[in-house]
Amino acid sequence: MPLLFPEEDASDVRLRYKPDVINGDMDSIRKEVLDFYRSLGTKIIDKSHDQDTTDLHKCITYIWDFAPDANKSSLCILVAGALGGRYDHEMGNLNVLYCFSSLRIVLLSDDSLIYLLPRTHHHEIHIQTSVEGPHCGLIPIGAPSRSSTTTGLRWNLNNTEMRFGGLISSSNIVVGEKVTVQSDTDLLWTISIKKL
Amino acid sequence: MDLMHHSSTFLLPTIPLHHRPSLTYALVVLNQTLPRFAPLLWKHAQLRLCADGGANRVFDEMPLLFPEEDASDVRLRYKPDVINGDMDSIRKEVLDFYRSLGTKIIDKSHDQDTTDLHKCITYIWDFAPDANKSSLCILVAGALGGRYDHEMGNLNVLYCFSSLRIVLLSDDSLIYLLPRTHHHEIHIQTSVEGPHCGLIPIGAPSRSSTTTGLRWNLSKYMSTLL
Repeated sequence: MPLLFPEEDASDVRLRYKPDVINGDMDSIRKEVLDFYRSLGTKIIDKSHDQDTTDLHKCITYIWDFAPDANKSSLCILVAGALGGRYDHEMGNLNVLYCFSSLRIVLLSDDSLIYLLPRTHHHEIHIQTSVEGPHCGLIPIGAPSRSSTTTGLRWNLNNTEMRFGGLISSSNIVVGEKVTVQSDTDLLWTISIKKL
Repeated sequence: MDLMHHSSTFLLPTIPLHHRPSLTYALVVLNQTLPRFAPLLWKHAQLRLCADGGANRVFDEMPLLFPEEDASDVRLRYKPDVINGDMDSIRKEVLDFYRSLGTKIIDKSHDQDTTDLHKCITYIWDFAPDANKSSLCILVAGALGGRYDHEMGNLNVLYCFSSLRIVLLSDDSLIYLLPRTHHHEIHIQTSVEGPHCGLIPIGAPSRSSTTTGLRWNLSKYMSTLL
């Protein structure tokens, strides 16, 4: 965080950007970092006994338990750092979207954002053209799609079949400010993030 | 069901002489930061292609991997055999430089239906004699990271060319397809890879997968679903 505010004093930045919770199996966090945030009052949840789920999964579970039921549908979890690095980690993070398909979870990198479009709904995606696009994709990870239909893309789908080994919608372009998607399977929506 | 052998010997400084299977390597460089071991992949490859902006990467970044050498010398040494793609990313001076050195330039700007990687794989497929296709292994640098729709398009290429050995490489990981048509033996080169690994059912769920050699093996008694 201090590197993103080079004109400010690093300590001031660190005090301002204090996490509420640090959760995970604690095998990567440096001791001085843990001590620093603990001393500021950050809640430390040590899940080192749990080797069955990823750190992201643990965090999503925590948020799920923490949020009152009434608020779950209006909750949106933004995840930084889920992409890149070890590929098995990236896939494990992607799987979390599917495991918690009733929760809005957005995976973000410098270049792209990703979220799940559950098959249970029609979807309207309002494109914030000042910050995202135009490059986008609809990806049938996990299961092929016998029929997907879209509007608002350069190359729309029309009851089109999509599967790995055949057609997937990558290198597509959003045209305008609204995209609609309907599919018989869960699809991953991805759109490029403009250099802000 | 036939057995298919896999081994990441392309990450070793020298490939052992009598190593089986004996493979011919081709290298495709895409438009992402070169992995730090790119010169090693280049050395093992008999055919080196740049997909469009991948040529910018070789031009700009190979010299950075040899900081003690003169950049021009490095560029002359790491000259791609082919530059293929829709040419919307390669810089003009890079294109002119490699063209003047004799690199074959294949302009596919009319073809907007396939990714640059797909075009390169097609080129290699057409180029390799049929007899040699099963001993061909295509190494791809720069397929991961960057725009996520690109990464997924690159992953799809593995499935579209499932009878070809294609390995996607980044600084952190390598990925290849294990087709359902074969049993697979993966010989781990412990000096250069591992221990972290994964088996991912992208594209379709797996009702039954079985493994040995992993900390947490899969058995037919478990279901494996994404």
